[in-house]
Amino acid sequence: MLTVIVTGLAIGMLYASIALVYNVMFSTSKVLSVTTGHLSMVGGVFGAYIISVLHMNWLLGLLGAVLAGATFGWLTDVLAIRRVLARSDEHLWLLSTLALATMVQQGVGLWWGTEPKPFPRLITQEFGAGLMDQKFWLPIGMAIVIAIGLEFFYRKTMYGKVFIAMSEDAFAARARGVSTDKIRLLSYVLSGALGGLAGFAAGQLTFAFFALGHTLTLLGFIALAVGGLGSNIGALIGGAALGLLNSFASYYFGGEYQQTIAVGLLMVVLLIKPEGLLGAKNVRPV
Amino acid sequence: MPRSIKHAVRLFLATALVVSAASAIAADTIKIGWLSSLTGALSSAAIAENQGVQLAVDEINKSGGILGRQIELLTRDTAGDPTKAVNFAQQLAFSDKVHFVIGPVNSGEGLAAVPILARAGVPNLVIGAIDELIDPEKYPRAFRVINTNRQWISTANDYAIKVLKKSKVAVIADTSGYGTASAKTAIELLEKAGIKPVYTVLVDNNKTDLTDEMNKARAAGADVVMPWTAATGMLGRLLNARGEIGWNVPVVGHPAIMAAQIRQLLNKPEYWQNAYAAGYVSTTFGSNGKLPERTQQLVDKIRPKLGGGEIDILFWWVAMGYDTVKIIEHAIKTAGSTDAAALQKVLENTRDYKGVYATYTWTATERNGFPDSNMAVNPANTFKDGSFKLAPR
Amino acid sequence: MSLQTTKKLSLLAGTALIATLPFWAGDQYQLHLASLIAVYWILIAGLNLVVGFTGQLSIGHVGLLSIGSYTFAILAGKMGVDPTLSVFVAGLLGGLCGLALGLPSLRLPGFYFAMATMAFSMIVNEIVLAQVDLTGGGIGLPGPMFPKPFDSPIGFYYLVTAIALFVTWLTWNIARRMWGRAFISIRDNPVAAQAVGVPVFKAKLLAFVFSGITAGVSGAVFASLQSYITPDTFVFELSMFFFVCIIIGGRGSIIGPFLGTVVLTALPELVSPLAKLGNFFYGLLLLVVVLVVPEGIGRMFEIISERLRPRTVHREPITPDLSRLAKALKVRE
Repeated sequence: MLTVIVTGLAIGMLYASIALVYNVMFSTSKVLSVTTGHLSMVGGVFGAYIISVLHMNWLLGLLGAVLAGATFGWLTDVLAIRRVLARSDEHLWLLSTLALATMVQQGVGLWWGTEPKPFPRLITQEFGAGLMDQKFWLPIGMAIVIAIGLEFFYRKTMYGKVFIAMSEDAFAARARGVSTDKIRLLSYVLSGALGGLAGFAAGQLTFAFFALGHTLTLLGFIALAVGGLGSNIGALIGGAALGLLNSFASYYFGGEYQQTIAVGLLMVVLLIKPEGLLGAKNVRPV
Repeated sequence: MPRSIKHAVRLFLATALVVSAASAIAADTIKIGWLSSLTGALSSAAIAENQGVQLAVDEINKSGGILGRQIELLTRDTAGDPTKAVNFAQQLAFSDKVHFVIGPVNSGEGLAAVPILARAGVPNLVIGAIDELIDPEKYPRAFRVINTNRQWISTANDYAIKVLKKSKVAVIADTSGYGTASAKTAIELLEKAGIKPVYTVLVDNNKTDLTDEMNKARAAGADVVMPWTAATGMLGRLLNARGEIGWNVPVVGHPAIMAAQIRQLLNKPEYWQNAYAAGYVSTTFGSNGKLPERTQQLVDKIRPKLGGGEIDILFWWVAMGYDTVKIIEHAIKTAGSTDAAALQKVLENTRDYKGVYATYTWTATERNGFPDSNMAVNPANTFKDGSFKLAPR
Repeated sequence: MSLQTTKKLSLLAGTALIATLPFWAGDQYQLHLASLIAVYWILIAGLNLVVGFTGQLSIGHVGLLSIGSYTFAILAGKMGVDPTLSVFVAGLLGGLCGLALGLPSLRLPGFYFAMATMAFSMIVNEIVLAQVDLTGGGIGLPGPMFPKPFDSPIGFYYLVTAIALFVTWLTWNIARRMWGRAFISIRDNPVAAQAVGVPVFKAKLLAFVFSGITAGVSGAVFASLQSYITPDTFVFELSMFFFVCIIIGGRGSIIGPFLGTVVLTALPELVSPLAKLGNFFYGLLLLVVVLVVPEGIGRMFEIISERLRPRTVHREPITPDLSRLAKALKVRE
């Protein structure tokens, strides 16, 4: 029973990290990018590459994963978001981020191979550690660290406050002299770095696999929707709920209906409370 | 928008012209279509098979071709997508007018493409293992080169029941097409042998941890675990879970258990012990420590192409790819032409054709060419240079 | 020639070409491609109303296609029901599932709705894999053929083309009239639409259910064309393909997405020799089109035709008729 809880929590925290990344992206651009799941995939793959193939230590692997994620985030803004937002058209950013996500997935698949490859041990630890194995508490710890880090960022640093300003009212922020394009770029780079970090931490759980992207995008989104768009604590709760639900359902009913159950959760929450558990109600003057 | 319609029609016509022109050239070569999933699912198998196919084609072309004609290999990457497989099968059959088609690799693609090729009357060498791909009446020109899925399952079952003398079987398969079909066949064959599995489960092959399933199998009293999945990630996790809960139950099942990638996915190298997989005589080291002669010859020929060092892929893939082209050569040479009906007759009358991967026999009523006697069981951790030792009996 | 006559003549020419295609097509492979385009177009024409006209980002329609295909394969194949009847049932079931999906999710904002449809297609795939006795699980089911004269490739081509033309005519009528305007108003400004009295939710649902019916019918003929369906066929990338055809073709038009379908179906066939790089180029093409011509091919042609034949704007200066004015003023006194 404890295994079920811990496994569910571990994978759930990966989803929560992705939901946190969604939040960062959304705050400045009001865009939910399809590439979010792929950021984690890139982080995991590059981390595995640097440590296992290039035989460097884990710190360099971590830096590599973060850098790869940040670059991908930067690419997302430059290629997929910037020109598209100028036309303020709902479809197009979905399509452009989808196109970029496909390209990156295929590119990584061609380079890394289509088989899931092992993710190396980060901290020397005996394998018989069972539930205390690092593959479980690394993602959990990372999600909490990211959440706390973001809170600190928003409250204590100038850039954080600018992010909040942009998310509340982008026009007013611009009127006050905030360079919204640059801030948006910064938020994408930051979200990319965080995504890469999350993927790196969860690598031992998911293995370095090129096709993780779409599934993580969807499940991270479900965590976000359940917890409420814009709320970091909501993201953590949503992720934990999704992971635990998946884990328990697989244990009692077998793994065949995993997606169905995850989506069932989403639908139920959205029907009762459309803005999620802790999301803000979107009241817009007409 | 009137102009846009005109433009579209012109574009379409131009495309049609180009495509038909391209297919009119080069009518004197022997065209072999190769439907391979070089990207996507089972790409590692396809890439290895491709090595064997390419080597055979180059070898034959260098020595003058077949009946004086060079072989033209048309490779189409189906990317694991049955719709693409169908489209390319149509293209190869009707547009490129190939004389033979090898593949597809994936069973899912095969189920869609084999009927198309059968309708077009193109001879087809099948390399997917699922039983439904072969039917002497519906697909008279489809001949299977690989073993059947049943042969894998019954070889593994035999070893578990008769050699290891186990009777409480746990069947673990993945939720893919192959997994669900194999689980069904495995249970059927076990019941024929008088054994009812104590635990059966289908698992998504991306599930991050299989400790639950192994615990449940142990609780049900299983004394052998038989996994039926080609997903190395899942098999790695299964073996890890077995080791971590400290349960020394034998694992007997799909050949992927002995794939080289598993070695890196395991937390401890010991976890690979007490694991056996269905394999082949052609890629098993004999008691004198040597491979069968033909296998060794092919290994030596192809080693430089695979990087020159130790071979880290399952060699039977390469051998099988090589054999498919050699079988085509044999068929065309014996028939003296590339006429499809003549080729069918020749293949139907092939007895004990000695390839590298196996010795093939086809008849008018039997299109599965791989003999039971060429199956073997190998311990998973005896992987060396692409082949294995023989499991103790 | 006036614009109207040119349009009519081109449409006639196009129809004639489509009708005689089997005779100038080249070989059976190209006929197969043409039939595939027709089958896809049946679904995309309906989806066009949802995505192109109403602006709802549905990326999960492959689930409805899958439902249509399996319904047809099970009814006409396993249970031996008449294929024509099976097509109707497949369409009906597609519409019902569209209703079931649309009711809870159409109220959600854009990205949420997109994710809900994506999740729907994944659920359909899971259920198909799990219900092995019904759907054959991973092995799949054979797609039965239609009775004579539609069982030959040429006959089948005419069947699907007839269905496609019928569906096109339906969507054209809907788009031209009241509902079409309602859809466009919802896409461009839902608040204003609601203020004017357009029943927003009802319209969205209507479009979605219609697209479900066409998806079901398309799935049925798709199963027959492919001659064998497995869960591997109905992957998320196919949904994306449908969506892309519409965006590339241009929203708000019918001929645009049709051209998009033709181009995108034929393209992988032309790129086939490039083996490994196929999918990557597909994504790249999508990105380039979205960035450079986001309004789609249709708009590009409009721009070109504007350049070549600019519309002359009649200027009618208004000059007051002073004598009449004076007379009117005199009468007043």
